[in-house]
Amino acid sequence: MFDRVEAFYRPGTVREALRLLQNGKNRARVVAGGTDLVVEADRSIRFLIDITHAGLSYIRRRGKACVIGATTTMATLENSPAIRALAGGILARAAATCGSVQIRNMATLGGNLANGSPAADTATPLLALDAEVVLADARGRRKIPLTAFYSGLRKTAPGKALLIEVVIPALPRGGRWSFQKLGRTESDISLVNAAAGLQLDSKGRAKWARIALGAVAPTPIRAVNAEKLLVGRKVDESTLAEVCDQVAREVQPITDVRASAEYRREMCRVLVRRALEECAAGTGCSL
Amino acid sequence: MSSGRTVVGHNVRKVEGVKLVTGGPAFTDDIQLPGLLYGKILPSPYAHARIKRIDTRKAKALPGVHAVLTYKNVPRVPHTTAGQAWPEPSPYDTYLLDSKVRFVGDRVAAVAAESRAIAEKALRLIEVEYDVLPAVLDMEQAMAPGAAVIHDEPDSKGIYDASRNIAGYILRGIGDVDQGFRDSDRIFEREYRTQRQQHCPLEPHITISWLDGDGRLVIRTSTQVPYHSRRQVAMILQIPVSRIHVIKPRMGGGFGGKQEMLLEDICGALALAARRPVKIEYTREEEFYMARTRHPQILRMKMGVKRDGTILASQLTVVATTGAYGSHSTTVQGNTGSKVLPLYRAEHMRFECHVVYTNTPVAGAFRGYGCPQGFFAQETLVDEIANDLGIDPVEFHRQNVIRLGDTDRLSAQLGEGKEGLPRIVRSCGLPECLDRAAAAIGWTGKRQALPAAGHLKRGVGMACTMQGSGIAGIDWASAFLKMNEDGSFFLQTGAADVGGGADTVLSQIAAETLGVSLDKIVITSGDTDTTPFDVGAYASSTTIISGGAVKKAAEKVREQVLRMAAKMLDTPVENLTCGDNRVSAVGKSATMTEIALHSMYKEKTQIMDGASHFNTDSPPPFCATFAEVEVDTETGKVRVLHMATAVDPGTAINPAQAEGQVEGAVAQGLGYALTEELVLDGAGRPLNPNFLDYKIFGAKDMPKLTTILVETDEPLGPYGAKSISEVPINGPAPAIANAIFHAIGVRFRKLPIRPEDVLRALREKETVADDQCV
Ligand SMILES: Cc1cc2nc3c(=O)[nH]c(=O)nc-3n(C[C@H](O)[C@H](O)[C@H](O)COP(=O)(O)OP(=O)(O)OC[C@H]3O[C@@H](n4cnc5c(N)ncnc54)[C@H](O)[C@@H]3O)c2cc1C
Repeated sequence: MFDRVEAFYRPGTVREALRLLQNGKNRARVVAGGTDLVVEADRSIRFLIDITHAGLSYIRRRGKACVIGATTTMATLENSPAIRALAGGILARAAATCGSVQIRNMATLGGNLANGSPAADTATPLLALDAEVVLADARGRRKIPLTAFYSGLRKTAPGKALLIEVVIPALPRGGRWSFQKLGRTESDISLVNAAAGLQLDSKGRAKWARIALGAVAPTPIRAVNAEKLLVGRKVDESTLAEVCDQVAREVQPITDVRASAEYRREMCRVLVRRALEECAAGTGCSL
Repeated sequence: MSSGRTVVGHNVRKVEGVKLVTGGPAFTDDIQLPGLLYGKILPSPYAHARIKRIDTRKAKALPGVHAVLTYKNVPRVPHTTAGQAWPEPSPYDTYLLDSKVRFVGDRVAAVAAESRAIAEKALRLIEVEYDVLPAVLDMEQAMAPGAAVIHDEPDSKGIYDASRNIAGYILRGIGDVDQGFRDSDRIFEREYRTQRQQHCPLEPHITISWLDGDGRLVIRTSTQVPYHSRRQVAMILQIPVSRIHVIKPRMGGGFGGKQEMLLEDICGALALAARRPVKIEYTREEEFYMARTRHPQILRMKMGVKRDGTILASQLTVVATTGAYGSHSTTVQGNTGSKVLPLYRAEHMRFECHVVYTNTPVAGAFRGYGCPQGFFAQETLVDEIANDLGIDPVEFHRQNVIRLGDTDRLSAQLGEGKEGLPRIVRSCGLPECLDRAAAAIGWTGKRQALPAAGHLKRGVGMACTMQGSGIAGIDWASAFLKMNEDGSFFLQTGAADVGGGADTVLSQIAAETLGVSLDKIVITSGDTDTTPFDVGAYASSTTIISGGAVKKAAEKVREQVLRMAAKMLDTPVENLTCGDNRVSAVGKSATMTEIALHSMYKEKTQIMDGASHFNTDSPPPFCATFAEVEVDTETGKVRVLHMATAVDPGTAINPAQAEGQVEGAVAQGLGYALTEELVLDGAGRPLNPNFLDYKIFGAKDMPKLTTILVETDEPLGPYGAKSISEVPINGPAPAIANAIFHAIGVRFRKLPIRPEDVLRALREKETVADDQCV
């Protein structure tokens, strides 16, 4: 499938990787774990630039933020005590649902985002976590919110740029979190996934809320109107019903061989409800 | 059943196990040939079209291309690809290459080139102009007046009614169903639908073909039917059987999909044209739609019962589609009647089936061979009847199922494409299967448990099934044994081990009969030059039929060994016994090595013999499948918690391998019940020909499995063995459907039972309930 590839590079630094990417023009592609790229089998690729040795595999604390290098694997995220402790472990849990053990040993966080799939399982919790991404190109580095990273179906901001790391800023105090995924079997691309974050005030009203969904729109999305509905209210049955109705209005699922749009829309309600209930109960994610 | 036996009934290691786990060369692809070319088939992009113009000049001119074949430069010989005994009961409606294509994926042309990339490029350079014809995709419309005729060619043979797209028609019965229904207190009738399932073998179809030093065509191939393939390739390529050598190496599964001469003909044709070795290996995608599938069916099942639960009459009316070609069309569908209805002792039975052509991927043999469809209908209906009459389904089964000593008269009506032979139940562990599987699942307690609050509902369900062991009067096999100087024996058999462990089982039978340890048997199998004839691996026949041949051959050789020992030990043969790698009489003995050396160098005699074997009956293995499920009423997802399967395989020659067969069949049955379906779009193109979109049950999806072997002693089987590889695949779908009903009170009559369907049905049920309240 890569019989047209002329060269395979394994740069040791980001600078070197960027130079190779620049030189390769449209025919160079970055490869990390290769679990999307190999399946895609794009015949226009002539140069592959393997960035897994460019020093981007790390999980660090930077001030109050948690920073994750782009080539950190799903297996690492799944098992990292820091990530399991972060925000009820929703990112670790999402990573743990990606494919099989073999896939998770190869698949990277950066690849999951850069691939631009609306069903990317780590994108949803990262949206709920207000994550930002650091991009680098020949002109330098810039940090943008993850919401700005996605520009359309399978379209992402990097273009010629390299995704360097993901930054998770300080989290609201006492935040409660949940991640939910629905697939047909245990190792499946999400039919729908959802992540939620909730901060309650002393009276049990939502002070701050995040609701994110995957696989139900051209990009992973936040249901901002549903979030707004929630803030300032008690998380009771009638609020949940209203919020879930709003979520169902905010998503734009499609029908394909895996599931119908109607079913996906219905599942958005179910998963968001489950996520918010889990948040409200404060039980957090269990791995 | 292993009392006194030293090899049979023991969990010996798979004879080729070390080779497999150490990754040594074993499979078809594990060979390197100088000058090997890559063969590739150009698949039709249309479901139904005539090739108006095909120009291969550019492809031929491409450097590295060594052969390009189209219908214009190959022989046109009508045949069937079904790997069945001659004369095959499937219609001769297939051609090596044709000027008409009948499904998306049908062969348009084939090339052989120096690399895969060049072969792919050559395919793109073939210019084809199609005259696109209306396609028939829906099996219910295939017979309608005005439907496009798929097989309008004049030279096909054995099609029931080509003008109406009917590949085959079956109508059989016993008694008088109408009378039976009149005598019944209650009549139940329902319609069921089953889907297109693919075998998904780990190793896709692969064939490598070349001309040996003598100019004979060698075909190294992953097949369940080496001998049938040799005969069919000879006919299609118009060369003598004697000029073909088929070799079946180790296989990565077949599940029926390789009871088919699928790539052997075209690969051989390319090798002959290129005069170079050629390999064709299907990609996973090609395997999904260019190989074979299970036959989709629409089944209408009607049963008449007495108030006390006695079944008086059963009637099954089926429309099935065989896809574009009639491979296994009437035989698979025949089984849907003959192996399913006689599970019950009803006096009156009627089975009618139309097998129709559609412009869809070709259906063929698939583990269960028509039974999973039939049992899904029958066992779901029976559960409904039992519930309706207020009888526990297990009790209902006990009351109605076929028993030891019974004769199944329907089988006599429904043989392999012709009148069959009556089936007599000479061994039957079904009552014990029911008891033990019910206990394993915790039936009584769970049936009575109160429904849980919340959105997770649990239920248990069950089904009983049976199968055959070889095709009565048709399947036959032979085996040959010769003794070596060290007291070991070469065993040659045409049987085709598909990975299920036939070589081990056959070696065990030989070792047991000769009184030697397993390491003294060296087996060669599935090679048409060096092993004697065998129909191949299908119809659950290998253990009983090939095993029967091995046992007979071993008995003859044992006679020779004993006679030789009698001379050596100066003792009458009657006083001698074989065992422990020696022949013994009271007070004296000779080792097998001594006997072999004596025979060869003193008596100048090679101890050797062979035997052939067939049965006039096909003893049924029985199975009880129990399932426990948990239904999420918010998502519609069904989680299977526990599958308890009890099987009566006769004697389990190798219990561990037998259990492995059950577990594998259950995994495939779970996919059939809940997730697997090859979906086509409105133009007949496959929408999910890959494992991301077509979901099979993986390791993480598997529920708790309890596998119980209820051994019986079958008089017609070697050491009492029947079969095990197919029967356990029949039960999961109905057992799960019944468990879902128990959990949520909704019946599902269409497979697979997808979360969406469950959710929709739950909503409809709520609506109905609400309406009733008003
Ligand atoms: C069997 C299977 C199951 C799967 N299951 C799941 C699942 O359950 N959930 C899920 O979300 N995904 C799943 N995937 C998809 C895939 O594994 C993930 O998206 C994975 O995280 C991709 O990472 P990678 O390192 O393998 O990316 P690669 O394949 O190496 O790259 C993917 C794309 O991103 C680009 N890219 C990679 N890294 C960077 C970077 N740092 N900067 C810029 N561009 C970059 C590449 O050029 C390419 O276009 C599955 C895949 C397979 C094959």
